[in-house]
Amino acid sequence: MSLEYSITYKAENHYDHPVKEASWQFLILPDENSTQNQVEINFNNSLNLPLEFSHNAYGFRTIRISAKEQFMDIVFEAHFSLVKEHTNPFNFQIANSLEEELKKLHQLEFKVDFEPFLRKTSLTNLLEDHKQLFLFKKDKSLFENLQELNKWVFEKIFYTPGTTHVGTVLDEIVANRHGVCQDFSHLFCALARQNGIPARYVSGYLHQGIGYFGDSQMHAWAEAYMPEIGWIGFDPTNNLIANDNHIKVAHGKDYADCAPLKGVVYSKGENRTTHSVQVSSQQQQ
Amino acid sequence: MLARVANNLFWMGRYIERSEHIARYMHVNYFSSLDAPNELSRSRQFMLRSMLRMLGDPPPQENEELKESDILFKLALDPNHPFSIISNVQHARENANSARDLISTDLYESINKFYHFVLKYPVDVFLKKGLYDFSVNIIEMSSILRARIRSTLLHDEVYAIIMLGVNLERANQLIRIINAKYYDALNAQGGYDDKFSKSFEWTTLLKCAEAYDMNRRFYKKTPTSLTTLEFLILNPNCPRSLMNCLNQVYMHVRVLDNSFRYDNHSTAFLVGRVRAEYQYKYIDEIEADIKTFIEIMMRNLSDIGQKMEKEFFHY
Amino acid sequence: MSTTESNIFSSYQRDPSLFDEIYDKQGNVKNVYQTLFKLYGEHSINDYMLLNEKAKSSFFNQGITFQVYSDKEMQEKIFPFDLFPRIIDAKEWEIIEKGAIQRSKALNLFLWDIYHEKNILKQGVVPVELISSSENYLHQMMDVDPPGGIYNHISGTDIIKHNDGNYYVLEDNIRCPSGVSYVICNRTALKRALFGVFNHYQTHTVTNYAENLLELLESVKPHGVDIPNTVVITPGMYNSAFYEHSYLAKTMGVELVEGRDLIVENDFVYMKTIKGLEKVDIIYRRIDDQFMDPLEFRADSSLGVPGLFSAYKKGNVTLANAPGTGVADDKAVYTYMPEIIKYYLDETPILNNVHTYHCSRPKELTYVLDHISELVIKPVDEAGGYGISIGNRLSKKEIEEVKKQVKLHPRKYVAQPIMSLSVHPTYIDDVNSFEQRHIDLRTYTVLGKDKEFVLKGGLTRVALKKGNLIVNSSQGGGSKDTWVLKD
Repeated sequence: MSLEYSITYKAENHYDHPVKEASWQFLILPDENSTQNQVEINFNNSLNLPLEFSHNAYGFRTIRISAKEQFMDIVFEAHFSLVKEHTNPFNFQIANSLEEELKKLHQLEFKVDFEPFLRKTSLTNLLEDHKQLFLFKKDKSLFENLQELNKWVFEKIFYTPGTTHVGTVLDEIVANRHGVCQDFSHLFCALARQNGIPARYVSGYLHQGIGYFGDSQMHAWAEAYMPEIGWIGFDPTNNLIANDNHIKVAHGKDYADCAPLKGVVYSKGENRTTHSVQVSSQQQQ
Repeated sequence: MLARVANNLFWMGRYIERSEHIARYMHVNYFSSLDAPNELSRSRQFMLRSMLRMLGDPPPQENEELKESDILFKLALDPNHPFSIISNVQHARENANSARDLISTDLYESINKFYHFVLKYPVDVFLKKGLYDFSVNIIEMSSILRARIRSTLLHDEVYAIIMLGVNLERANQLIRIINAKYYDALNAQGGYDDKFSKSFEWTTLLKCAEAYDMNRRFYKKTPTSLTTLEFLILNPNCPRSLMNCLNQVYMHVRVLDNSFRYDNHSTAFLVGRVRAEYQYKYIDEIEADIKTFIEIMMRNLSDIGQKMEKEFFHY
Repeated sequence: MSTTESNIFSSYQRDPSLFDEIYDKQGNVKNVYQTLFKLYGEHSINDYMLLNEKAKSSFFNQGITFQVYSDKEMQEKIFPFDLFPRIIDAKEWEIIEKGAIQRSKALNLFLWDIYHEKNILKQGVVPVELISSSENYLHQMMDVDPPGGIYNHISGTDIIKHNDGNYYVLEDNIRCPSGVSYVICNRTALKRALFGVFNHYQTHTVTNYAENLLELLESVKPHGVDIPNTVVITPGMYNSAFYEHSYLAKTMGVELVEGRDLIVENDFVYMKTIKGLEKVDIIYRRIDDQFMDPLEFRADSSLGVPGLFSAYKKGNVTLANAPGTGVADDKAVYTYMPEIIKYYLDETPILNNVHTYHCSRPKELTYVLDHISELVIKPVDEAGGYGISIGNRLSKKEIEEVKKQVKLHPRKYVAQPIMSLSVHPTYIDDVNSFEQRHIDLRTYTVLGKDKEFVLKGGLTRVALKKGNLIVNSSQGGGSKDTWVLKD
């Protein structure tokens, strides 16, 4: 069984002064992977600027657009469709003991291979005081511990749009207990890494049909690596294991590697931007 | 060559040329007025107003009493006045800096010395006794720069761009000078030799373009409005005439655009058109309405500059 | 030795505890300096003062200056230059040159490894923390093959002579090592002032740097390019090293561009010329990694080129030095150089490394905290001589402050024994005579495909403040012409 998704992404930019030159890079294309296929892309912009397809550092597809003529308004609109295979997120063997799993995590070679997703970045760094917030229990498997972490983050932070921005540091969020999906995901990554588990930040789309938290923009969750199982997606904003409703775009060390839109605009004065995302699905046989 | 750097070199040429003209206008007018034949031409206020007009400053109030030291400072050493000599030299050096890899070491060193000369010139010395010394040094150093442009650079695009700037600016400055002196000649009528066409101001005008001796040699009589304007506008053999400048601009723009494809939107086309119009004009046609001529020519030159910018410097 | 009253060396005082480059222990002028000593001795102090003034104004008029801001006013200053050259004989130079090449090659292999298989980390030869805690380790470079396999095309190796008479490397600069233009300017200035002295020595030229640099850069052109188009990219004319950028562009005969002169289209790089777009294949980069491409790195950078990194990853353009080389420029990596050289080349280091204590290791941290007065404490990530504390110059209070900082951020600091830099007679303006001043040497090594070049000369930097050990120009250092003698 599979689901056919259709996604609409829209970004409208208005500038108070004419823009002389600008470049944008979008990281919003659904990833093609084992559960996401037949991805189709239809990307338009109001100035009819040509699209350049490329790849970011982690191999995810990007679209670059440059404007050389003056403008004050530009609208980007993208339609994607894809087929998402139905999977059972619990379809794996849980390892026998935490001890054996940890042994693998502590091997030097493992640490070197997973270095990017074990390191502290400026967005996943915690003060000494906060590092002890969540400790893994010895009598449970890694997976169970991570599930608990997922729940712990879900309960620790109140989903409150508008209280944080992309640069808010984690310690502030832990102290204030308010945040959005990015903050949930960063906190999850930070604490998983703190316990020696490779964790990566994932950006993508969430199908909100069933009333999940997220927003009408892009969603973020995390993936953690367990030596016996591989990468598993955790959505701490909704206390879920990532499933059919999570359409992945990209992953990285943190938000900075996954920013959906990066732009360089040569203009003065203010600009106004609105983003919107819509996801709809249709069951396939 | 990079479009941005080309733009900088073009402006380097313009700024070098501009500072020289201001320096010459300043000292020629100052010294001419000291023993001018009629009272108005001798008047400080008259002379100072003429300087401001040439600089392109907004005209002062009719009855405003101008202070000589203020005006001279404004023209020469006021770093806050955008058109002062010091500002021009600063801009010239700034532009040279950004293109330092393209111009010769010799040329750069001369520009640099020029800059330090102006920067270090003491304001009080200039105002008390340095007017002549300062001006002739500016003129001399500009000549050295032009010589080094000609003799130490490969005569390729870099050279053509600089020379375009130099000659376009020279044409521009010439028109400004004619404008200012024409105005002076109109106003200075009166006294014993008061006819407009025989005004003393024409002699000053020629001197402002370093063309008085050449003019005497060519016409062998006292300059009049007709001979002065003919010489400065139409005679291509006068090195500072408008015609000479247009010829140079045309020649150098052809280095950048040598396609000779018919393109009536190109800079080369526009330069050729303006040049052709004046190549075979009679001076009487111009002298009858100098004001209109000045307006049209100012516009022509500004159009050429803008076209160049679009065609070559747009980046 | 001349005994004339006005001899410019007559008031020269030697501190016997320091290694003097021109006098031996007995106080005799060393062989290689004898002729020079005699020639300079023929000048009176007055002659010398005049020559010195002329050399200074020559630098000033040529605009070989840097800007200093003081009291809101901008001032132009020249880098202090000393007319008395430093001489390195052929035998000593051979060691330096071989040692510099050895280090550059080892670092290049290290960089390849940590951006590919990471064997040296997996085998525990150097700790994984070396990269995992480094801000300069760019994950974007993972599995990227730089054209020709070269990361550190240009390395600047800072070398000193200790009072045991041996050379030691203090630092390997492989981000954007600067100063090479001063090597050449110093030579030019010395030739103009004292051309006669060159007749008595067989000195290697230094003016061949640019041609060798261009040749080696072109040897690592992108795949499929026939005749490469090379440019130098600068942050702009207000950068303190702008003179050097323009000098290198000019002497290589290539364009000097700023970020705004370049655009990336379909992962190829172009420059905007008066005749439209022109493809660029090799970029000699004088912009730091983080500022190179606002779409990949710091978005607030107006110096970079949007899309440049993507073009680089596709192999369409060569960047020199490659992005991410900064990780090996780290002072913590320096301390593992002997291991790195052994691991990749199976050689012992030709040039000595100064012994280093890692404050990140508890045992060594304890030693450091107990012996601060005998050590130099350095932050691992500061360039330009900032943040260095020299133990025996610190007051009790300052020692406590340093201890506190080191305890707080042990990973940020390393410590080394206080090295005594050799001294060289240097003309001091204020007193109009020669005095001993500490010096070091920065050499320039260029790696190309199967070929390398070391500039036979380098920049001898002088700490002009009496007794000062820090030679960086940003800290009041000057420089000398450096003569490498032919065999």
